[in-house]
Amino acid sequence: MVKQKCVAMLLAGGKGSRLKELTESLAKPAVPFGGKYRIIDFPLSNCVNSGIHTVGVLTQYQPLVLNSYIGIGSAWDLDRKNGGVTVLPPYSESSEVKWYSGTASAIYQNLNYIKQFDPEYVLILSGDHIYKMNYDTMLDYHIEKQADVTISVIEVPWDEASRFGIMNTDDEYNVTRFDEKPKKPESNLASMGIYIFKWPVLRKYLEMDESNPDSSNDFGKDVIPAMLADELKLIAYPFKGYWKDVGTVKSLWEANMDLLDDEQDLNLFEHSWRIYSVNPNQPPQIIGTKAKVKHSLVNEGCIIDGAIEQSVMFQGVEVEEDAVIKECVVMPNARIGRGSFIERAIVMNGLEIPENTIIRNDADDILLITEAFLAEHAEQQTRVEEA
Amino acid sequence: MKKSMLGVIDAILLPEEMGELAAHRSPAAIPFAGRYRLVDFVLSNMVNSGIQSVAIFPRSPYRSLMDHLGSGKDWDLNRKRDGLFFFPAPAKEGQFSRMAEHLDYFNRSDQKYVILSNSTTVANMDFAPVLDRFIQHKSDILEVIHKGESAHIYLLSLPLLLELIKNRHETGYKSMQDVVEDAGSSLTISEYEFEGFLKRIKSIDDYYQTSMQLLEKEKWSELFNEFQPIYTKVKDEPPTNYLAGSYVTNAMIANGCVIEGEVNHSIIFRGVKIGKKSTVKNSIIMQKSKIGQNCILEHVIIDKDVSVEDGAVLRGTPDEPLVIKKGSVESAVASS
Repeated sequence: MVKQKCVAMLLAGGKGSRLKELTESLAKPAVPFGGKYRIIDFPLSNCVNSGIHTVGVLTQYQPLVLNSYIGIGSAWDLDRKNGGVTVLPPYSESSEVKWYSGTASAIYQNLNYIKQFDPEYVLILSGDHIYKMNYDTMLDYHIEKQADVTISVIEVPWDEASRFGIMNTDDEYNVTRFDEKPKKPESNLASMGIYIFKWPVLRKYLEMDESNPDSSNDFGKDVIPAMLADELKLIAYPFKGYWKDVGTVKSLWEANMDLLDDEQDLNLFEHSWRIYSVNPNQPPQIIGTKAKVKHSLVNEGCIIDGAIEQSVMFQGVEVEEDAVIKECVVMPNARIGRGSFIERAIVMNGLEIPENTIIRNDADDILLITEAFLAEHAEQQTRVEEA
Repeated sequence: MKKSMLGVIDAILLPEEMGELAAHRSPAAIPFAGRYRLVDFVLSNMVNSGIQSVAIFPRSPYRSLMDHLGSGKDWDLNRKRDGLFFFPAPAKEGQFSRMAEHLDYFNRSDQKYVILSNSTTVANMDFAPVLDRFIQHKSDILEVIHKGESAHIYLLSLPLLLELIKNRHETGYKSMQDVVEDAGSSLTISEYEFEGFLKRIKSIDDYYQTSMQLLEKEKWSELFNEFQPIYTKVKDEPPTNYLAGSYVTNAMIANGCVIEGEVNHSIIFRGVKIGKKSTVKNSIIMQKSKIGQNCILEHVIIDKDVSVEDGAVLRGTPDEPLVIKKGSVESAVASS
């Protein structure tokens, strides 16, 4: 193997159970986003755009869609002779199958993968966030600061700080303490789950962590605190820009809506920082004679005959005449029947919404429209009509 | 069975009246239907019919065609065996003479049959039933016919094609068309009538009318279906962004566009920007062109990388659309 300066390890085993039916049959990183992408397109594209061409993707939960989506990595130009993308599922060592019990143990089990490239640095990423970031700039910072570990942080609103892993730092961004979801946060610098380690340091601490029976094998809870206790040089890398965890139905919807906001920082149209994805090979979208398209993001292969407003439409979505879609995210190949009205919702992929289905939503919560939801909704309608 | 066909695309023949659209590129590379080039249709048809070896005979200038096709990856033609072959040849008269320059390709191929097609026919067509018909009819050559006219797509055996190429001086046949049109030929010709949407683009008028027909949903769905997709070079453009204030009806729009103005009965290619209060009607705007604010465009074909400055008015007529050359800048003063 040709030596690589930096190898990226992307943790993509997340179950994302708060995304409900959206992650019933696929891992969270494979959840569709932004009209044509999947969440994992963001870290993968960031890697390629940052010049990191060796990426190990650690999968565990519902890996089928994710595995076939990643393939040999050609969509991200990661089909390389040296390095490239490698999917790393848990494997059995001797007779015992070892599931990844935590983020740290997942990397530990794949130390051999990293070893073959003999890197100087290892970049740890997660497949849960939407953001554009130059990891190479972060690596320069890591080298300049001569840190053992650099942790990317972002300022979050104080009232939300207790939902995150919080880094307490001095004025020079040296990390002094790490608090996982603190009740009373003393800092609003949240860890983004992006770490750069010196390779020998990472290896040593992962081996120590693995041999500690009391450890939960988690970077945030175990490995980072152990390093702090040993007074290693941990430094925070302050990131400015768009970053969002899309772990719930509502936050996924919000992140999609953010794309329609001209003021936000996540510019998908930036030529020098393309977000790559697997191309579905669909013809251009067709906007019909009676259609009204207002303030929306529409992907290839859509056929729009109804009215859409403030919505994100994935490939192959059909909206029939007199249907109205407002503030919705419509997943691939769904069809909205004639005369329907849907607002503030995420429509599951491939779902057929029958004609004249009226789903109003003035609540703060976002609806997730599935087969089951439609069945229940139809039942309710009948009951209302009978009464 | 399907692997028994070789695909040959003749991009040498020059449609007479493509004007400015073919000034800097091979007609095969003329952008079409929002995200494609004309050659994508026949090439995808071949791939979807199971053909794994395709030879393209281009005509200079072929830079844009080569750039578009690359290694053939987007058509799944980057193969270890067979795949996509690009055969530029010195400017000699006639299809057979150019092919004679690359006889090795034909000699080395072990396929039994050849589909020989022009590069500018727009259709979604499966060649597998064409081969079935050819085998049943036992004729020497099968010609694809659409509405009584030749589609300039032929099926014949590889040995016969080799013979025709080698004997071109004796027979006087310069191309497949000569062979088929010679009433005195001893070769038997059968026909295959293709029922679906098919149009050979020979002129600007053909180009404009055929493009506009695709705005009718029935025609669109005859050309595009999920089972026989038309492949093209992948550009990784984001979905199209319709900003507040945009008003779009009856349009075919590719990805990567930012639309703030009004679009009606038009075709918009990848990465086009249409500014505030501009109106685009009955027009075709090719990739990466920028339309400023307060512009009026009617019956125009705007080639790629054109910049239309604020306040410009460009008008053609339905019979004679105004063609704006690739890379030009149209200012308000010049057009008023």
